[in-house]
Amino acid sequence: MGIDKERPASPVRVNAGGFALPGTSKANHTGSWRLERPLYATSPSPCHGACPAHEEIPVYLDHLAMDRPRQAWEALVAANPLPAVTGRVCPHPCETSCHRGSYDRALSIHSAERFLGDLALREGWSYPGLDGEPREEAVAVVGAGPAGLSCAYHLRRAGYRVTLFEALPEAGGTCRIIPDYRLPEEILSREVERILATGIDFRPGQKLGRDISLEELEEGFSAVFLAPGRQKNRSYSVDHALPGDLHHGLDLLREWRNVGSLPRWERAVVVGGGNTAVDLARTLLRTGSREVHVVTDEELPGRPSPTGRGTMPAIAREVAMALEEGVRIHTGRRIGRLILREDRVIAVELLHALKEMEGEAPVHRAFTGTETILETDAVIPAVGQEVDPAGIGRLLRNRPFLSLIPTGQVEGERRIFAGGDASPGGGLVSQAVGSGHHGARRIDAFLRQKELSLESPPSPIPFTSLNLAYFVERPAYEPRELPVAARTGFSEIESTAPADLIRTEADRCFSCGHCLECDNCWTLCPDGAVLRTAGIPGIPVPYVFDYDYCKGCGLCARECPSGHIRMSPEP
Amino acid sequence: MSSQPSVDTTALRKLQPRFSGIESGHGACQGCGQALAARLVLEAAGPDVIVANATGCLEIFTTPWPQSAWNVPWIHSLFENVAAVAAGIEVALRAQGRTTRVLAFAGDGGTFDIGFQALSGMLERNHDVLFVCFDNEAYMNTGIQRSGSTPHGAWTNTSPAGRVRQGKRHFKKDLLTIISAHGIPYAATASVAYPSDLRAKVRRALDVSGPSFLLLHSPCPLGWGHDSAQTISVDRLAVETGLFPILEMERGKVVSSMKIRNPRPVREYALPQFRFRHLLMDTPEAREELEHLQALADANIERYDLLSEAPGPRDSGGADTVRRGGSRWG
Repeated sequence: MGIDKERPASPVRVNAGGFALPGTSKANHTGSWRLERPLYATSPSPCHGACPAHEEIPVYLDHLAMDRPRQAWEALVAANPLPAVTGRVCPHPCETSCHRGSYDRALSIHSAERFLGDLALREGWSYPGLDGEPREEAVAVVGAGPAGLSCAYHLRRAGYRVTLFEALPEAGGTCRIIPDYRLPEEILSREVERILATGIDFRPGQKLGRDISLEELEEGFSAVFLAPGRQKNRSYSVDHALPGDLHHGLDLLREWRNVGSLPRWERAVVVGGGNTAVDLARTLLRTGSREVHVVTDEELPGRPSPTGRGTMPAIAREVAMALEEGVRIHTGRRIGRLILREDRVIAVELLHALKEMEGEAPVHRAFTGTETILETDAVIPAVGQEVDPAGIGRLLRNRPFLSLIPTGQVEGERRIFAGGDASPGGGLVSQAVGSGHHGARRIDAFLRQKELSLESPPSPIPFTSLNLAYFVERPAYEPRELPVAARTGFSEIESTAPADLIRTEADRCFSCGHCLECDNCWTLCPDGAVLRTAGIPGIPVPYVFDYDYCKGCGLCARECPSGHIRMSPEP
Repeated sequence: MSSQPSVDTTALRKLQPRFSGIESGHGACQGCGQALAARLVLEAAGPDVIVANATGCLEIFTTPWPQSAWNVPWIHSLFENVAAVAAGIEVALRAQGRTTRVLAFAGDGGTFDIGFQALSGMLERNHDVLFVCFDNEAYMNTGIQRSGSTPHGAWTNTSPAGRVRQGKRHFKKDLLTIISAHGIPYAATASVAYPSDLRAKVRRALDVSGPSFLLLHSPCPLGWGHDSAQTISVDRLAVETGLFPILEMERGKVVSSMKIRNPRPVREYALPQFRFRHLLMDTPEAREELEHLQALADANIERYDLLSEAPGPRDSGGADTVRRGGSRWG
C-alpha cells in the first residue's frame, strides 16, 4: 500500500530477472495512518470512589482472585491498616456502588476485606516497610481512635517519627465500645497492636488539656494531628425533666465493655436513631433486659422515605437485625413528657413527630393530640456526642467542630491538622480511617513543602464503559450469619468467608477501569499492534501498544471488558 | 496512568507466546475483520503450513511488492483456482512423504462464485486441504460489488437501494450445506467475534484427514459501512440475530451449533451498518424488507434450533467470556 512512497530505497534486493527476495511488511509503519491512539488508562472504580478509606478495591480483589493473598492484603493496607475491623463494622458503601450490582449481584467486598484482615492476623503478617527514606521530623498525633491510628500509621509508612497520645489506657477509641457480636474485641486489639508495633511512640493516659497542652505539642513536634473524637454527651432533657438515675447510651456501652455488667430492666426506652442507640438496644436485650424500645423521630434507614424525611443514621443492616432480634423501634415518634414518680421514670408519653431536612439543617416537628403512653423503667438518651473543648478551646472558636482548610490545617493554624469525628463529616470507622490517611498525606505535603493537588479526584468509570459481552452471570457469595434464635449471646453474627469461596467471589469483580489481563486486546488487534508483556522481567505492565503499527481502529478500546483502554487524539 | 514504558518492540515480538502467521505492517483497513481472522487461523494452525491464497483483499494487503506480511510459505493463485493450486501442493507434499498441512484461503467471491468449481473438484477428489473462506459478503477488494454471499437486503454498488429495490434481491447462498453435501468429514462456520470457537474449529478441521472447510464471518468496516471499532460487536450481532448461524457439519449432517443465549432483533444488527441503512427508513418498502430480514433470521433459528434453553458455556453468551490472566484463550 503506497503510503510510504517518500521513504528511501527499500533494503530489499532485486535480483536479475526482476524478482525480489521479499522483505517483511514490518518496514511499513502503518502507525502513520492513525488519528487516535489507544492508551491503557486506569480509571477509578466506583467502589474506590465510594470507599471512605480510599481502598483500591479492584487491585486487592485481583490479587485475591489470582491466589496471591499476601499481595492482596498489602494492597489493602496501603490504604486501610484496620481491614479486619472495617470489614466487620463498615456499612460498605462500596457494595452499593458496585457496577456488578447493575448486572447480577454486587460483590461482597466487605467479605473479602474481612477475610484478608483475618488471614493476616492468623498468619501474623506485619505491614510492609517504609515507602521511602526515614524522615527527621517528628509528628504528634492526639487520639488513638481509628483516625489517629490511621494517621500515625500512614505517617510511619511515609518515614516520620510519630508520637501518639491517648487519654484512655488503651488505643482503639470508639471502636472499643462496638459490641462483640459485631466486632470481637480481640480482633480490634490485635489490629491496633500491629499498628502500634510499627515504631509508634504510644503514650496512653495522656489527655490533651490535662496532661499535655497544645502549646507543648507545637513546641516539641513539627506538626500535630488532632483526632480527639467526640467525647462529650450531648445534653438531654425533656422540658428540663430528667430521671434521677440518668445514664447516657455511650456510657452504658462503655460500662459493659469495662465492667461487664449492665442494669437489667423489665422495660427500657433508648432515645436516638444512631448506631449507639441500636448497639445499646441489642446489648440490653442480650444482657437480660426483657423489653427494649428505641424511639426516634426519623424513618427506618435503607428504604425510600417520603420526601425530605430524615432517616436513622444507624447502619441499615444493623437496624434490620435489631428488629429481627426483637428490639421495638418506634419511628416518627418523640418523647413529649417523662412520667416520673419521685425521681424514677415509670412511663413516657410519645408523640407523632418527624424530622425534615431543610438543606443541611434538620428541623424537628411534633404533633399534639397524638399522645400515647409507653410504660418503662428507664429512659436512656443516645442522642449523639459533641467535641469536648478541653484543651482545644482556642481552635474550636465556639463552633461545634474543628473546621479545616483545604490543605488540612485547622482554620487559622499552620502546623495543626485534624481529622476524625472532631472535624465535620463522617461518623463511620472507615471515614475516620480515610480522614487519618488524608491528614497524613497533607502533613507529609506540608513538611516536604510539596504542592498538594486540591483538584477533586476523577469521577469513577461509568457502567456504560464496560463491555458486558465478556462476562457471564455468576452466583454471588452469601455471608453466613447466625440465625436469629442463636443470637442471644455475644458470639459474632457474621462469619469470615472460607478461602475458596472468597477467591471465587473476588473473581467476579469486573475490575472496572483496571486491567483484567484477559488478553482481549492482544487477541483482537487486527494489526498485531498489541504486545503481551506480562511476566517479562523489567516491564511492569501486562501489555504495550506498538504505535509503529497501530492504525487507531479503536477495536481494543471498544472490546476491553473493563474500560481500561481509552482512545485519545493523536498528539 | 496513561503512559506506557518504552520497550524494545522488536525484541518483544520474539517473546510473544503465540505464533503470528501474519506480521504487522500489512495494509488492511483499520478494524479489518479478515486480517484478524487470518491471523487467528494461523495462530491455531501453527507454523508448519503452506498457504495458497486466491486473489482478494487478503492477498493484496499482505503482499505489497516487495514486502510480505507472511511468516509461512505462501503462494498467490488466480481468483478462480486456489483450490486446485492447494490440491496440487497437497499431492506434491504427499508424494514427498511430508506432513506439512495445506491451507487454501479465499474470500467469499473466490469461494461462493468464482472459485466454486475448483473448490467442488478439490472436495470431490478428497484432497487433505483445509479451505478457509473469509466471508465479508461482497467483492470488497474491487469496490463493494454483490457476491453470492451478500445477504438479502444489503446495499452494494451493484445491488443499490432506492425506490424500486431495497438492496440485494436474492438470498445469501447456503454454501455450508452445499459444501457439506460433498460428504466431506468436516465443515463449519465461525465468527471473529468468537475467537476461541474459531481457533478450536481450525484445530478440529486439521485433525481430520481429507478435505475440510471453514466459513469465517469477518466484517468489512469499509464495505459494510460501520465504524472500525465495531468489527467485533457487529459480528457478535450477526450471530446473536441468527443471520449467521455458527454450525459444524460432518458428512453432510449438522452435528453442533452455537446456541443463542440472548437473541437480538435484526434492527440492532442493521443499525450501525451503512449497507442496511435504507432498511431503517420510515417507508412501507423499508419496513417490509426489514421484516423480511428478520424472518430470514428467525428461519435460521428455527431450522437449526438455535435458542438455548439454559445459559451454557458454549452458547453465544458464554463462548467467549474473559478470564483473569487470559486463560480463556488456551
